[in-house]
Amino acid sequence: MSDTSTTPRPRPESAAARQRRFGVPLLPRRTPSARRTALAACCVLLLAWPFYLSAFWLQTGLFAMTAVIAAIGLNLLSGTAGQLSLGHAFFVAVGAYGYTWLAGDDGRSGTHELTGLGLNPMVAFLAAIVLAGAAGTVFSPLSGRLRGMYLGVATLALVFIGQHVMLNASSVTGGFNGRSVPPMEIFGMAFDDSTVWMVLGVPLGGLERLWYFGLFLVGVACLLARNLLLGRPGHALGALRDSEVAAAVMGVPATRMRAAAFTVSAMYAGTAGALLALVYQRIVPDTFGLALSIDLLAMIVIGGLGSVAGAVVGAVFVSVLPQLLTHYADQLPLVVPPGAGGDGLGAAEAARYLYGLVLVLTLLFAPGGLARLEVPAPPWWRTRRSFRNT
Amino acid sequence: MTGTTTIPVTQTASTAPAIPVLSVEQVTVRFAGLTALDDVSFTVAPGSIHALIGPNGAGKSTSFNVLSGVYRATSGTVRFGDALLTGLMPHRIAELGVARTFQNIVLTAGTVADNLMLGRYTLTRAGFAATALRLPGAVREQRRHRERAREIAEFVGLGARFETPVGLLSYGERKRVELARALCMEPKLLLLDEPVAGMNTAERKAMAHTITAIRRALGISILIVEHDMGMIMRISDEVTVLDFGRRIGGGTPQQVQRDPAVIRAYLGTGDHAAPAANRTTDGDGAR
Repeated sequence: MSDTSTTPRPRPESAAARQRRFGVPLLPRRTPSARRTALAACCVLLLAWPFYLSAFWLQTGLFAMTAVIAAIGLNLLSGTAGQLSLGHAFFVAVGAYGYTWLAGDDGRSGTHELTGLGLNPMVAFLAAIVLAGAAGTVFSPLSGRLRGMYLGVATLALVFIGQHVMLNASSVTGGFNGRSVPPMEIFGMAFDDSTVWMVLGVPLGGLERLWYFGLFLVGVACLLARNLLLGRPGHALGALRDSEVAAAVMGVPATRMRAAAFTVSAMYAGTAGALLALVYQRIVPDTFGLALSIDLLAMIVIGGLGSVAGAVVGAVFVSVLPQLLTHYADQLPLVVPPGAGGDGLGAAEAARYLYGLVLVLTLLFAPGGLARLEVPAPPWWRTRRSFRNT
Repeated sequence: MTGTTTIPVTQTASTAPAIPVLSVEQVTVRFAGLTALDDVSFTVAPGSIHALIGPNGAGKSTSFNVLSGVYRATSGTVRFGDALLTGLMPHRIAELGVARTFQNIVLTAGTVADNLMLGRYTLTRAGFAATALRLPGAVREQRRHRERAREIAEFVGLGARFETPVGLLSYGERKRVELARALCMEPKLLLLDEPVAGMNTAERKAMAHTITAIRRALGISILIVEHDMGMIMRISDEVTVLDFGRRIGGGTPQQVQRDPAVIRAYLGTGDHAAPAANRTTDGDGAR
């Protein structure tokens, strides 16, 4: 360590030279063919997932998917447009309760009368996304005018308003005890365990089918966000983040673009919420507290601000960690399984400490996020690269 | 507006869209007790290179900020042809064909291409939905405008850097990215805020050459703020001199150089000549 600190700072070098010296990106980004291969391998793995793994892993994966969708949306707002939001838990809740209310039937839960529109679940799902977008648009007088931190503080209020509404509008939300979620149904095919398909000798029940539905949503979410970032709105939002004055003199209407980014981001959160409701099968207000907003922010910071890949990596990391710790609590030191007494941390708490630590480490050592992290190149790679470069 | 996208860089002045006159009339800007601009008037003739000079704190950058809508004028008007610029939001002024660069480089993280495509913002239409869904119209539009952006990059000498992240470029190259981004707006009036500040002699010469080439190729009006007197005297058609927020002189470069008021502002009068001596009119070149 001491000898590196005394050497003079090297002059800026080209990206290729830097990569040769220090290593290769964790995710292959610079070579399109390698990237495509990795992406295809990921797709195959994810498609085959339900054939080999148990319900626990499916559920963990589905939680990760909801996190990925919400994090991509938040990253569009915070990473690309530079606007902080602590209120995304509210929009996730709008999506979740929106779907449940729109698709649910009138009924009764405990002492509460429940109402519902009883729409086709597919229609209800789309309507829930629109509803979350509408909620984002209603907030646009603030989201367009407030910048960065100030928007973060203003959106904080949304979480508390949301909690109040969820607890008190019990005919829609079911109040404190929540409400059960009607299963997804596409073209008359319900995503529950009433029918089981046998594919290659493996039973595909409701959870498995939901897995593919979630996978489809994640794919669409990634693709749309990537297109946005590479296109005209992406350029405008990036300019707004880096200098509002420069963006304005280039013709970008700052207020309108900020509000639009907020709305799109709210729609992503709503999609995640509706999917989350389907995974949980019963939703309660506790799920959509401030902790969820903070988790989402942690995801994009750990993964990497401003890129789709960053949101995906961070979301998977933050959402899977507590699940893994819970699952393996009996085998890990210091962590006690839920319900067991004795000294030690609960799994959820341990997960929180761990990703807090990772958050700090990320900010210190990989400010670009995990998705931009570079690992030291193995010798064989370096040799091959140097051959290619000479 | 979109019709201008097909104009090649080497068009003749006769086929250019009509360039309006920019007239600044009695503009005053006050910031809580400080008068940054005091009753300043000047006119930029269509297709001319007009220089705005003056010692530090004379109000040159404030003028630019008023012209581009970043600051509001306390009183007075700025007209660009029939349009009244004072009171318009910056993005509306940009839509009228007024482009500017910044004294301190202000670029977006990303490649040169990303920055130049931002310059095409007012000339393109694709919204969130069309872009996200990659509708054919949006894809076509983006491809066409990217081609034009590449042409402009080549014109200012950044052709080989088109896909390079701006963070890897040298200072002089980044200055050129700013210029190219402004040109990407297909402006009728180009405001250049100290385009050669901090550059070495060779880079200054190249930039001066590029600026005259822009005027020759596009026939647009250029308003330029610069401290490099040698360059100003060589390339500009008309000069307006500001000092302490007031217009103290103007005319052709030759007239300005002989104007006693201008010489006094730059070199000072006898009693406080010493501290003002570094306000020299000499730049790098011969006049």
